[in-house]
Amino acid sequence: MALTDQEITNQREATPAAHAIDLRKTYGMGQATVNALDGVNVTFERGRFTAVMGPSGSGKSTLMHCMAGLDRPTSGQTFVGDLDIGHLDDAALTQMRRDRIGFVFQSFNLVPTLTAGENITLPADLAGRKVDQDWFDYLVKQLGIGDRLHHRPSEMSGGQQQRCACARALINRPDLVFADEPTGNLDSISTTEMLSFLKQSVTELGQSIVMVTHDPRGASYADRVVFLADGNVVDELEQPTADSVLERVRTLGS
Amino acid sequence: MWRVTIKGLLAHKLRLGLTALAIVLGVMFIAGTFVLTDTLNNTFQTLFGNIYQKIDFQVRGVAEFGSGGNATRNPIPESILPTVRAVPGVAAAQGSVEGYAQFIGHDGKAISTGGAPTLGLSFDPNAQISELRIVNGTAPTTPHDVVMDLGTAQKYDFKVGDQVRILLSGPTQTFTITGLARFGTADNLAGATLAAFDIPTAQRLMGEVGQFDFIDVVASQGANKATVQRDIAQSLPRGVEVVTGQTVVNEETSAISQALGFFSTALLVFGFIALFVGAFTILNTFSIIVGQRTKELALLRIVGASRRQVFRSVLGEAAIVGLVSSLIGLGLGVLAAIGLEALLKGFGITLPSGPIVFEARTVIVCLVVGVGVTVVSAISPARRAVRIAPVAAVSEQQVEYDISMRRRFTWGAVITLLGVLSLTVGLTEPAIQLVGLGALLIFVGVARLAPAVARPMSSVIGRPLARLLGTSGKLGRENSMRSPRRTAQTASALMVGLALVSVIAVFGASVSRSTTSSIDNAIAADLIVSNSNNNGPGAFSTTVPKAVSSVPGVTASTVVYAGQFEFKQSIENLKAVSTYHLSKTLILNMASGSAGSLAAGDLLIDTTTANSNHLTVGDRVPVKFALTGNSTMRVGGIFQTNSLIGSYLISDAFYVSHVQNPQPGAVLLTTDGSPSVEQAVNRALAPYPNVQVQSRAQFEEAEASQVNQLLGLVYALLALAVLIALIGIVNTLMLSVFERTHEIGLLRAVGMKRRQIRAMIRSESVILAVFGAVIGIVVGTALGIALVSSLHSQGITDTVVPGSSLVIFLILAALLGLVAAGWPARRAARLDVLAAIAAE
Repeated sequence: MALTDQEITNQREATPAAHAIDLRKTYGMGQATVNALDGVNVTFERGRFTAVMGPSGSGKSTLMHCMAGLDRPTSGQTFVGDLDIGHLDDAALTQMRRDRIGFVFQSFNLVPTLTAGENITLPADLAGRKVDQDWFDYLVKQLGIGDRLHHRPSEMSGGQQQRCACARALINRPDLVFADEPTGNLDSISTTEMLSFLKQSVTELGQSIVMVTHDPRGASYADRVVFLADGNVVDELEQPTADSVLERVRTLGS
Repeated sequence: MWRVTIKGLLAHKLRLGLTALAIVLGVMFIAGTFVLTDTLNNTFQTLFGNIYQKIDFQVRGVAEFGSGGNATRNPIPESILPTVRAVPGVAAAQGSVEGYAQFIGHDGKAISTGGAPTLGLSFDPNAQISELRIVNGTAPTTPHDVVMDLGTAQKYDFKVGDQVRILLSGPTQTFTITGLARFGTADNLAGATLAAFDIPTAQRLMGEVGQFDFIDVVASQGANKATVQRDIAQSLPRGVEVVTGQTVVNEETSAISQALGFFSTALLVFGFIALFVGAFTILNTFSIIVGQRTKELALLRIVGASRRQVFRSVLGEAAIVGLVSSLIGLGLGVLAAIGLEALLKGFGITLPSGPIVFEARTVIVCLVVGVGVTVVSAISPARRAVRIAPVAAVSEQQVEYDISMRRRFTWGAVITLLGVLSLTVGLTEPAIQLVGLGALLIFVGVARLAPAVARPMSSVIGRPLARLLGTSGKLGRENSMRSPRRTAQTASALMVGLALVSVIAVFGASVSRSTTSSIDNAIAADLIVSNSNNNGPGAFSTTVPKAVSSVPGVTASTVVYAGQFEFKQSIENLKAVSTYHLSKTLILNMASGSAGSLAAGDLLIDTTTANSNHLTVGDRVPVKFALTGNSTMRVGGIFQTNSLIGSYLISDAFYVSHVQNPQPGAVLLTTDGSPSVEQAVNRALAPYPNVQVQSRAQFEEAEASQVNQLLGLVYALLALAVLIALIGIVNTLMLSVFERTHEIGLLRAVGMKRRQIRAMIRSESVILAVFGAVIGIVVGTALGIALVSSLHSQGITDTVVPGSSLVIFLILAALLGLVAAGWPARRAARLDVLAAIAAE
């Protein structure tokens, strides 16, 4: 399953996994107008693990929602691969999300009535596609949830639920995975496991991941950190460590 | 996606179970109606088939008016029988007469059937022709002999050799039972009682000496039936026809089917009303479910479910619920059929019994209607589900859907107006379908408008509760005000139920009052002699008028006949009265002409008929009586419309000479005022247990109680719709409790007692119920008044709004609300505080 270094390099040099041009998103009208995104230009490279950091209200989540086609920007362009998703209608947008994007959320967001296994195959089921059984088995094994497949989310620990959500995000082999504070509700052991898995899926599978996070230690697993403040990209950091991220956060805060 | 749908269904068994109940009940009612009427139809079909099994042809008088099984025919001369027998190919032929003969039981009371005929007929000893078989004893041979049907004999304890008194169109007579008989294998004829006499006796008793009603013919084996029929036809005089036995069976069957058709339509209307009310409940449940599943649906959208998939998922859920509940309803329908029969029996309508008939049509209609109603009701919630933005799954902010409120009200107003329009046209036309459509549109429109007033009305209704119950009442009130849309939707079902009940209340009170006032305006007599059996023929012996009018103290008497004639080519009911004492017993408010012209053989008509036919005094109109054929009559006078008198009035002399075997329907007596007269009249009526005497007040009361009996039946049928509305309230409250688990836990944590929690839920329920009831009663009363005023010319002259009944409905609705809250309130009170707070 793992790709060679050469393949990964080739992928990285192709079109970026996603990028945004002059992205703006405003909420409210008149005096109460809030510029959640104020002309953001950002690129998420293919086959890399990018962390997005910033204080509360900096526009992290809005950026992710807009770039993943969950929310429509007020102006500007967003691309997934070379596809301009601004022009897509709801049906096309839905299909794009289903086939090209995976999601991991802070609050797991599993369908409570389905078992873990059914939750994982949900995107494939929705697409009416047959599940790639080898790929399914591989993911389940890597994430260590093989013995949990027939359990309902309510019968699983937070860590198990989040791993299940991870498997669901990857089942359709998406171009890009958006992870929104994926470790926000996890204990420290589960957090480490989760971040390691994400990192591993980038290095071994060439997966592209964008992770919104608060946690400098989490961001240190990424290949690159993008800092957001007041709806703008204010800084970037390549090959971060926990210390360098913390350092940068501190400077940005002052 | 199907997996999500089905798993979702299984996970929400409870809330969908209650929804399903609404459909189950409605479908059950419809299935029950179909099964019942199909069964009855089949029973009669088999019955007629058996009776005419061996008969190839029937010779009878041609229809004078009407057609088929409902036709009025004249008897045929006895002399035709030998002619028919002489036709080559005729193996046997036998003439019969049929008429009225009612047994009197050992207790001295007339044996009544509750709808089926009390038949007197001639006994045909020829086994080749008749299906009537003596099973015990011998055939009647003398004028004092009678054969009784086995069913009646068993039920009323008669044996061969017993004496039995029989009410006839002439004087009551005593007979000896010589035998007991059955029809083929049936103990009696679908609940009818049979008194069979020898032919000459039957002819005499039925007033048809030298005549037959029909001649049954059996053809010889191997004879060409078409030839035989043609030959018989050629031998017959004018006015007599020959038809095949199958024709008679078909005529009788279709007459019964037609009657059952009205009956089944009436019942189906109530079934559809129940489903219509159920539709509101379903709509509401699905709205709430979609609301509660917002996050889940949004999540599905994120991971790639298209709008269409979400839409289909919600509708699919509805379809499965609809299908399952329709199937259950169908199964219970058979039980319902038995239940309906029992209910009708309780109201004095007896029906024959037979094997249960379960037709494919029943299954198809029930499934289509049950699934259809559920799916259609779920469309609006499904569309709301589709509008849920994917971000709703991940963002904390509550997505509001109030944008459509204005559009909703505009549509509500438009639909209501269309309904009013349709109703108005329907009532003036009159076209019952338009009336129904109008009412339907008004209900839907008002339901859409209701959220506008839900908040202020809940506030007003809840104020006394808040004062009475303190915090609990206040919270209940606030909860009911919190979501006006949900409050209104929940109350809508009850609104429809109570609107219909109110329509019936207004209608019933108006009919009741109108009947009383039409009696007051028409009858001057002190005593009214009439048949005591409301379901029977309504006529009685020709010897009764003489018996009662000769009672000392009776100063004036008028005999009233009721019959049919053809007026300008349409069959109409008419009344005939003896003219001698007329002014002392009957009040005729003449608009023009004089009542005295009756004696001259003129026709009196009421103002409504005169206006619609543009007739004035002196005009001649074409009429037709069965016995005498076409003629014309002069309009001698025009009287003010009165529903008791009817539209056409002639003299008894004219009637008796133009109608076969006339029987009086009532005698009006004016007395000298002494109270002993009524007793004396009663004594004079001793030989006639089918006849009663009533004072005018008693008569009015009896008429009113007949109206009330019918109202009782309608209320009972509407109770189903109200029950379904109630289920809707239970369902909504359950879902609310579920939704507010966290909040209720918090209230408990800060010190609210279980009792107070229960009081809170109950207050909310009562507010919901009263809100629905108030709107329903207002809408229903308005519809009732519209209905009644449109029927002004039909004799409903008084419009009465029964205030006390409406107040009782309101109180009942409040109590029902309390009952509906029982289960949800208990459940809310039982919530574990910690778990409730921990719940997200």
